[in-house]
Amino acid sequence: MSTTTPQAVVDDHAPSHADDHEHHPTVITYWLTFVALVILTAVEVLWSYLPLDGVALVVPLLVMMVVKFAIVGGVFMHLQTDFKILNGYWFTLAFGIAIALAVAVYITVYATFKFQI
Amino acid sequence: MAETTATEDLDHEGAAAAEFADQLNDTPSDFVHHEEHYTSLGLSNMKLAMWLFLGSEVLLFGALISTYLLSKTRFITELVAGNPYVIEGISNGENGALVNEMIAEASVEPLFDIPFTSLSSFILLMSSLSMVLAHKSVTEGNYKNLRIWLSTTMLLGATFMAGQVYEFTTFYREGLTYDGSLLGTAFYTLTGFHGAHVTGGLIMLGSLIYLSFKNKMQMDRAETVELVGLYWHFVDIVWVLIFTIVYLIP
Amino acid sequence: MAIIEQEPSIAALPSGAARTAAKPLGAFSRPRNPVGLKNWLTTVDHKKIGIMYGTASLFFLLWGGIPALLLRLQLARPNQGLLSGAAYNQIFTMHGTVMIFLVVMPMGAAFANYLLPLQVGARDVAFPRINAFSFWVFLAGGIMLNTSWFLGGGANGGWFNYAPNNGITYNPGVGIDFWNVGLLIAGIGSLTGAVNLITTVLNMRAPGMSWMRMPIFTWMTLVTQFLLLFAIPVLTVAQLLLLFDRRFDGNFFNVDQGSDPLLWQHLFWIFGHPEVYLMILPAFGIVSEVIPVFARKPIFGYPFMVFSGIAIGFMGWGVWAHHMFVSGIGPLSVTAFAVATMFIAVPTGVKVLNWLATLWGGKLILNTAMLFSIGLVTQFTLGGLSGVSHAVASADTQQTDTYYIVAHFHYVLFGGALFGFYSGLYFWFPKAFGYKLNEKIGKWNFWSMVVGFNLTFGPMHILGLQGMPRRMQTYDASQGFNTWNMVATIGSFILGVATLSILYNALVSYRAWRRAGRPDVGPDPWDARSLEWSIQSPTPEHNFDVSPTVTDLDDFWHHKYQEDDNGVLRRIATGKEVAQPGNGEGVHLPAPSYWPLVLALSFPLIGYGLIFSLWLCIPGVVLLITALYGWSLEPADDLDDDHGHGDHHERELVGANG
Repeated sequence: MSTTTPQAVVDDHAPSHADDHEHHPTVITYWLTFVALVILTAVEVLWSYLPLDGVALVVPLLVMMVVKFAIVGGVFMHLQTDFKILNGYWFTLAFGIAIALAVAVYITVYATFKFQI
Repeated sequence: MAETTATEDLDHEGAAAAEFADQLNDTPSDFVHHEEHYTSLGLSNMKLAMWLFLGSEVLLFGALISTYLLSKTRFITELVAGNPYVIEGISNGENGALVNEMIAEASVEPLFDIPFTSLSSFILLMSSLSMVLAHKSVTEGNYKNLRIWLSTTMLLGATFMAGQVYEFTTFYREGLTYDGSLLGTAFYTLTGFHGAHVTGGLIMLGSLIYLSFKNKMQMDRAETVELVGLYWHFVDIVWVLIFTIVYLIP
Repeated sequence: MAIIEQEPSIAALPSGAARTAAKPLGAFSRPRNPVGLKNWLTTVDHKKIGIMYGTASLFFLLWGGIPALLLRLQLARPNQGLLSGAAYNQIFTMHGTVMIFLVVMPMGAAFANYLLPLQVGARDVAFPRINAFSFWVFLAGGIMLNTSWFLGGGANGGWFNYAPNNGITYNPGVGIDFWNVGLLIAGIGSLTGAVNLITTVLNMRAPGMSWMRMPIFTWMTLVTQFLLLFAIPVLTVAQLLLLFDRRFDGNFFNVDQGSDPLLWQHLFWIFGHPEVYLMILPAFGIVSEVIPVFARKPIFGYPFMVFSGIAIGFMGWGVWAHHMFVSGIGPLSVTAFAVATMFIAVPTGVKVLNWLATLWGGKLILNTAMLFSIGLVTQFTLGGLSGVSHAVASADTQQTDTYYIVAHFHYVLFGGALFGFYSGLYFWFPKAFGYKLNEKIGKWNFWSMVVGFNLTFGPMHILGLQGMPRRMQTYDASQGFNTWNMVATIGSFILGVATLSILYNALVSYRAWRRAGRPDVGPDPWDARSLEWSIQSPTPEHNFDVSPTVTDLDDFWHHKYQEDDNGVLRRIATGKEVAQPGNGEGVHLPAPSYWPLVLALSFPLIGYGLIFSLWLCIPGVVLLITALYGWSLEPADDLDDDHGHGDHHERELVGANG
């Protein structure tokens, strides 16, 4: 935004975060994302009614869950577009480390309980 | 229960709720473009801090979800094994049918009303859409749409909470009390925590709407809308996890 | 946690426009140029907050030390009846809890707060008001925790407070509730502090301060704060589960209802192991600053120091179950965690070797700060070696819950972390207060601490291997523990006096300094390397007159020393000559505020409410909400302030965010 401000002091070695918003997705992208999320949710619900059990039931559900997670994070939370701005990967990094730690740690805990290994 | 989690959650929620409250600030808003000041990464301090905070929330909800999964597994194992304390705790001496069904299926699924919860999920997803549209509106300076979308988001969020309250009441009547069984404790704690986060988000949205009607939520404050949005979407993706892990996977 | 503030626009303000001073809810006006106590209560200056963290931490060191001496008195001879079993349980629990959460952690926070902005060349942290809040909420939690002594007795479940012993069935008193709620509240401070300090390091560095030019202390603190950020919520969840169990009849740890209390151990140690690293890493950072200065050499293997710190940070998440080898987890888990535990010794060993290599061939100046650093290297290594022996799971089965464990963690936490912090106190004291501590008393302080420390905790290795269980109120004369227990008790009293002698030193040094007419110690009394020495002592309120531009690792040093034509390193200037003069004209600083303190005070109210009567929560929550909105209504920065702001570059506006 400040690029339009005449008083803006431009610093050579200071990248400005002013243009964050210029790359954000369009309204149509948002609507399409929403439609995709609704479809995925519908498929999830239907899948849970199928006469399946074990891996065939759980794995597709988990995959769809992860995809939904990624879509909301990537599009609605702007991680995808922010990734392209200078140093914007830090948002993904901060969140990503947390998710990686959480998944690793809590799955280990669950495994030690579930399988008594 | 909802009350107690809300109190507890203020620990986490409180500071987050402050986030937008300060927008009630009397600062004159007549300078629309404000200076972005120097930062090493060129990113906004606020946004970076928000993402770090959300990272910490991931570990929080991760612990709650794994606690729920472990508790559910233990609960079902003990129920099927016929532990009298567990049976008494869940049936509350009245609702035998539900308990028998759970034992027969070795699952807590009979408790849930999937179509109802699917509708709740749909509503929360829709609120995420309206939230990004609100942010889009404010970046474009379309304050009328900003108000519309913010209000829509708040309405949808409130609807979700109403559904949550309805669901809790139903479960309670069916015999799933907070203190009666391990399942009840774990289920109400996890979903109650999520609900408290939603409530915190509703307070933030309320403040944003108030400000936007006072014409104090303008393009220079677009980042505030984005930050509240980040929080709101985070609460949404936590529900994406809860919906699949708690409700759909038996 | 992000508190969104509008950054005030300097350039866009009509010149001379007096912005309406916001009167938040009419409750408080903005404190203007407060003096005395009010200055400290409302300050948002990272240096004052750092000093307050340090003071609180030293106070709690005393407060947690008295119980330790009581324990040693009780154990001095067999079959003593000085303390009852119930009192003994409370005393060792509170000793551990206070020392870990209210001494070592805040001492790390004290150094981080004071030094981090200085070392990266910033005027303040990213969110100054949140910084003040972090301190006050830590203090509120700490004090609340300790009021349990007067309101029904301390916690008695050990510092890790295992379930189901912590449940209402076995522990109906309020001690556990105080432990639970007090630490929950203190945890909020750690979390907000972590967000704040990480943002500061990532985003507030001076121009040219790239990743590989940051001092090691800054790096270690960054890793520490990331550990806090991700570990604290796990403890928070564990404590909330316990709170719901105890106060609202939950069943998380209720074995009758089929729950598995082992969950508590998992959650606690997932937090607990990163916790031990976040206690030691700041001390590692401190000695990595002190040793190069007094060995007159740059740190050996800078990138290895950095990456080993990061590696410790990550690996610290994969070893928690080595605290649980005897809890009945399966053989595969035991093996995996044992191997991971052995591996985590590698990056730690890298650090020790690099310190030794820095010392090697250096022109050592063995003053007190340096001695304490060498003390850390030596004693931490001893503690680390006994730590690796726990990785041998079969041996650990024998060692668990014996004094061998007590010896181990005191060697790493007292001989390691606290010696490092003492080194830092002696090293940075002139920077913070403008005079050096007395070297002669300092050396007495060091050597008496070394003697007392090793006399106290050295024998515990032997006692542990002889089979003396920890947390036992007494022992019998026939068990053969008599001699070493007496030695440990004598040592503990030497150690107690020695530890306190730093306060005596500060007093004596202050008097001597005052008598001498408060001479200027100069910006750079140690001929040091990092940016904090390039400004006057004590640190001016505004830190840097102008943001330094950094071109090298140890940039300040390179302003003082350069190679001549023959490649020989020569001094080209003194620290005094190249230091900034301390002229703060035109610098705008964040304004002080009451709200961080008020917000922090609402938490203990809610806490007491949760313990005694939920009704008390109502005023607590009202105060909380009032404070949140009051905070928000008050601009972070007060442009009406007397500070001129017409001439400064926008970069010089710091901490506008909160």
